[in-house]
Amino acid sequence: MGPALSVADLSFDYRKKPVLLDIAFRVERGTICGLLGPNASGKTTLLKCINRVLLPKTGEITVEGQRIADMSRPEIARLMAVVPQQVSLVFAFTALQMVVMGRAARLAPLSLPSRKDRSDAQAALEDLGIGELAHRPFSELSGGERQLVLLARALHQDTPILLLDEPTAHLDFKNQFMIMDVVRDMTRAKGLATVVSLHDPNLAARYCTRLVVLKDGRLFREGPRETVFERQTLEAVYGMKVVVEETAEGSHVVLPMPSGGGP
Amino acid sequence: MKEHRLALATAVIVLVLSAGVALVLGRYTIGIATLWRIIVSVVSGQGPTAALATPSLVLWSVRLPRVLVAIFVGAGLSVAGAVFQSLFRNPLVSPSILGVSAGASFGATLAIFTAAGSPLAVESYAFFCGLIAVFLAYQVGRSSGNSVTSLVLAGVIVSSLFLAGVSFLKYKADPFQRLPSMVFWSMGSFNGVRWPDAVRVMCIVVPGLAGIYLLRWWLNPIALGDEDATALGINVPKARVFYIIIGTLVVAASVAASGNIGWVGLIMPHMARFIVGSDHDALIPFSALIGGAFMLVMDTLTRALPGGEIPVGVLEAFIGAPFFGYLLITSERKGGWQN
Repeated sequence: MGPALSVADLSFDYRKKPVLLDIAFRVERGTICGLLGPNASGKTTLLKCINRVLLPKTGEITVEGQRIADMSRPEIARLMAVVPQQVSLVFAFTALQMVVMGRAARLAPLSLPSRKDRSDAQAALEDLGIGELAHRPFSELSGGERQLVLLARALHQDTPILLLDEPTAHLDFKNQFMIMDVVRDMTRAKGLATVVSLHDPNLAARYCTRLVVLKDGRLFREGPRETVFERQTLEAVYGMKVVVEETAEGSHVVLPMPSGGGP
Repeated sequence: MKEHRLALATAVIVLVLSAGVALVLGRYTIGIATLWRIIVSVVSGQGPTAALATPSLVLWSVRLPRVLVAIFVGAGLSVAGAVFQSLFRNPLVSPSILGVSAGASFGATLAIFTAAGSPLAVESYAFFCGLIAVFLAYQVGRSSGNSVTSLVLAGVIVSSLFLAGVSFLKYKADPFQRLPSMVFWSMGSFNGVRWPDAVRVMCIVVPGLAGIYLLRWWLNPIALGDEDATALGINVPKARVFYIIIGTLVVAASVAASGNIGWVGLIMPHMARFIVGSDHDALIPFSALIGGAFMLVMDTLTRALPGGEIPVGVLEAFIGAPFFGYLLITSERKGGWQN
């Protein structure tokens, strides 16, 4: 069986200025692919191109062999769910109403969500341990709770591909790991092909099986975490001296090279 | 919608009671008992007796079309306001955001200026100029990025242009013959509404409201913003065009029939959100019911107040603005209008 998600020769221009150039990688089911790179390296743009919120200039994206360029919006949404960095609501929806919206792509044009759609949405919240938040306004929830609700919405969307745009960007230390644990468990349990952009390379080292490293919109390196997550690559991409150390569990962490200052 | 059944049932009762009061109140008073006898005579198929002929005529020819127009204009503007606020993700948006009211004002003023000022001509000019204004605003907005911001700015530009046209026509108009009619039209009124007017309004507003009602839930993901809605599988540009066309037809028909009555489309969606929340499943029908009831109560008050009838747009603003302030302050105490 081929990869669940395949991106080939993808390029994107913004006002004739190249933002992404010749990006190519593959993601298998049941695995997490991490997008790494400094600010403005093109991580978010790449995710938007994969989901065709932005239309790439060139390249081909396939999901289980099907070209998504030929698909309608609902067809794409039945294959890929997106967890945005954050959702700023103008009007107050409850957590349950937010999750029910995950079914939009599976509803007939004149129909409303059914009783089953609503009970399944409640079940999705309960699966993530936040069933009691169902009737709370989304805008009153903490950052971690909001991300869990958006994950529940993606779960309710019931797609083979999951795209997450810096899901830990606004979270405290504990919640970063809590969210990523949920993403890993969902990916394994449902056999998803997950792509997650991350600021923190240590989260990528801990949770991702493959890494795509971007620099200035170009593919700097791509491959299994074990080969990509090494000092030279990280130093070249982030432009700073680092040390990569192995933990007692056998995973790796990256730390800035001691500057001699200290607190 | 189930959890809001009580609120919806209450709104229906308020609307029916308001309609009952509106039918009996006025210069020619019709008692409740007379109203009941007329209804019974019509329902039984016997027709009104000689004693009921005059009140029946007043009720059928004057009050009923006026009541229906007030209800449907109020419901239409209120629902259009709720739709446009969600579509543009802005609680300050009124149904006239894309210039429909300015266009309609220009059309009506032009009809009066060119002496084509029969009620039908004023309505037709207002309706079509309202549509032209929105078409222009949409084209300008689409050519400058098709974002919410570009559409709103295009609406501002087109509105300014048409309002300049209104001012020019007023400046040039005969101050004794034409200008008073122009000013009176701009204040908004249901005075003089008869069955042909009611039929024209309902032919557009009723199907428009039905279309929005059927597709009300889809406004939920659209209200999250373009990118999120797109990721959820919504074809946002197509959906936006659909809601803009339906909303604009409803507003143009309402403004053409009754003049500039702006506040209902801004306040009632807020009040509806305050009571039933932001889920359009309940928000749209509730906005329609309270919008219709509010407009009917305002119109009945304009007829019942001592000192002669005043334009409903004036009374609506006098009552609507402080009421909006009250809503704003009350909701702020409960954690802000967003909650």
